[in-house]
Amino acid sequence: MSTSQTSMISVQNLVRDYGPIRALSDVSFLIERGQVVGLLGPNGAGKTTCMKILTGFIAATSGQVLIDGKDIVEHGVEVRKRIGYLPENAPLYQDMRARDYLHFVARLRNIAPEKIKERIEHVAKVIQIESVLNQDIGTLSKGYRQRVGLAQAMIHDPEILILDEPTSGLDPNQIIEIRELIKEVGKDRTVILSTHNLHEVTATCNRILIVHKGRLIADGSPAEIQEQHGGSNTFKISIQGAGESVKDTLMGLEGVTDVVRLENQDQAATDWRLFGAADVDLRADIFNLAVQNGWTLLELHHERQDLETIFQRLTLT
Amino acid sequence: MRNILVIARREFFAYFGSATAYIAIALFLALLGITFFFEVPFLIAKPAFFDARVADLRPLFEWMMFLFAILLPAISMRLLAEERKLGTLELLLTMPVTESEVVLGKLFGAVGFLLVALVLTLGYPLLVSILGHPDVGPLVGGYLGVLLVGTTYLALGLLASSWTSSQVVAFLLAIVISATFTFIDLVPEALGLKAIPAFEVLSFNYHFKSIARGVLDLRDIVFFVSIIIGAVMLTTWSLESRKWKGA
Ligand SMILES: Nc1ncnc2c1ncn2[C@@H]1O[C@H](COP(=O)(O)OP(=O)(O)OP(=O)(O)O)[C@@H](O)[C@H]1O
Ligand SMILES: [Mg+2]
Repeated sequence: MSTSQTSMISVQNLVRDYGPIRALSDVSFLIERGQVVGLLGPNGAGKTTCMKILTGFIAATSGQVLIDGKDIVEHGVEVRKRIGYLPENAPLYQDMRARDYLHFVARLRNIAPEKIKERIEHVAKVIQIESVLNQDIGTLSKGYRQRVGLAQAMIHDPEILILDEPTSGLDPNQIIEIRELIKEVGKDRTVILSTHNLHEVTATCNRILIVHKGRLIADGSPAEIQEQHGGSNTFKISIQGAGESVKDTLMGLEGVTDVVRLENQDQAATDWRLFGAADVDLRADIFNLAVQNGWTLLELHHERQDLETIFQRLTLT
Repeated sequence: MRNILVIARREFFAYFGSATAYIAIALFLALLGITFFFEVPFLIAKPAFFDARVADLRPLFEWMMFLFAILLPAISMRLLAEERKLGTLELLLTMPVTESEVVLGKLFGAVGFLLVALVLTLGYPLLVSILGHPDVGPLVGGYLGVLLVGTTYLALGLLASSWTSSQVVAFLLAIVISATFTFIDLVPEALGLKAIPAFEVLSFNYHFKSIARGVLDLRDIVFFVSIIIGAVMLTTWSLESRKWKGA
């Protein structure tokens, strides 16, 4: 049984206000050793705020965070020793060489002076920044700066890694490599990463926390979330020749609970996603509706609810 | 202590990449030179100067301390304001260090840079020693006193730098605070009032007098050290209270 005392990270009733803005309201979760957890949510959901509190950079308005049973406010320094943190946008000293910066961090991380060089070489190799070690951080490309940020978070081989959008700004090859690295590191460590990217969480995390408007609205493995929140059934349609009132017309269909317009490339057609009440197959009704209204139905697809759809629905309002 | 030194070291070397710091040092040396060369011929003209075998370094130290009030804010302004602006404060404060270690590290880094500036001024007393025979005692005492005063200005500037993410604002605030502390004894007089003893004792100006003579009075030391400690505590508090505010 996991409790707030035995879990690696225990977050209890966390609330954080920025003046009148409530960025987090009553968020609670437990994270066990060896979990790789993805914090998923739209812009402004509260992901960064949550991470800043976990790392002790800002204080919670109320609520408590325990790291391995220790309160982060009372045992700040001790707890921070065990955490590696990559803040959003990797804020690093621009005027330092990457190597000097990593050296500085290694010193603050209390790595024995004779081991520092070796440690820097090792991390630089794993994160592939060997070629830029002697360059000023200010002159690095965004992706390389992000990687130096990752390197400093990992330099002391921490038990807990907290990474705020670790793959932002990286090129596709590098994204895949960093995801592999996170998975590898996550085998015997605890990792929390935030992202907007669903593929990222499914590719790297064994648990997803979906935050929306400061609240935790879903928690579980990708499969569990699909099971718990994939209840409604959806239909994707693409129609041509539909007028302004198409959304209302679709909403008027019996058994339809919601209609969302989707992005599409095709100028002539519009794409829609219809959410139906459970177990109702609307395909025939949709087809008939299209015929009645004189629309050309280019596509009609009964979707199994994937995470993307679930995420879209959960964070719609 | 190790953390303080690691932070101080980084801070110290960061100055050598900063144009502002070079400009401040250059201005300091130039302005000091101007007074110095205006004073020296004047001193040489007085035979008593050599007879007494005392080369008077008082103007040099006095000027140093006044220049500090204007120029050291340019050295201290970036210490915390820049970290805030760039967001690097977030990484620094999420390392296993305490706020007071960060504050002391920053202060010592800046004091290190001040030491470099002071070493560069040694040419002036050296010149005097060629022309006359200054006593070593007052020379050493004067430099130690000036270092103490400089550290005080830097600590006040560091405090100002902790209140804002704008270096310009930090600079202006530091100048206002420094000038207030320096000249508060002159305020009653400027207003045509009688001197207020409390203002006298509180003003740096008042304490400069014996330091400029190269005399390190315990009361002066206690005075400046108290202000340094007070400023360091307020800065630490300012960093800690930031956690409950925005970011
Ligand atoms: N310093 C601040 N002052 C005022 N409001 C803030 C501050 N920082 C964050 N907020 C607000 O708190 C809310 C949560 O912001 P947060 O940065 O945690 O979101 P996020 O999930 O990380 O978003 P993103 O995906 O865009 O990074 C937002 O409404 C934001 O405007
Ligand atoms: Mg964020």
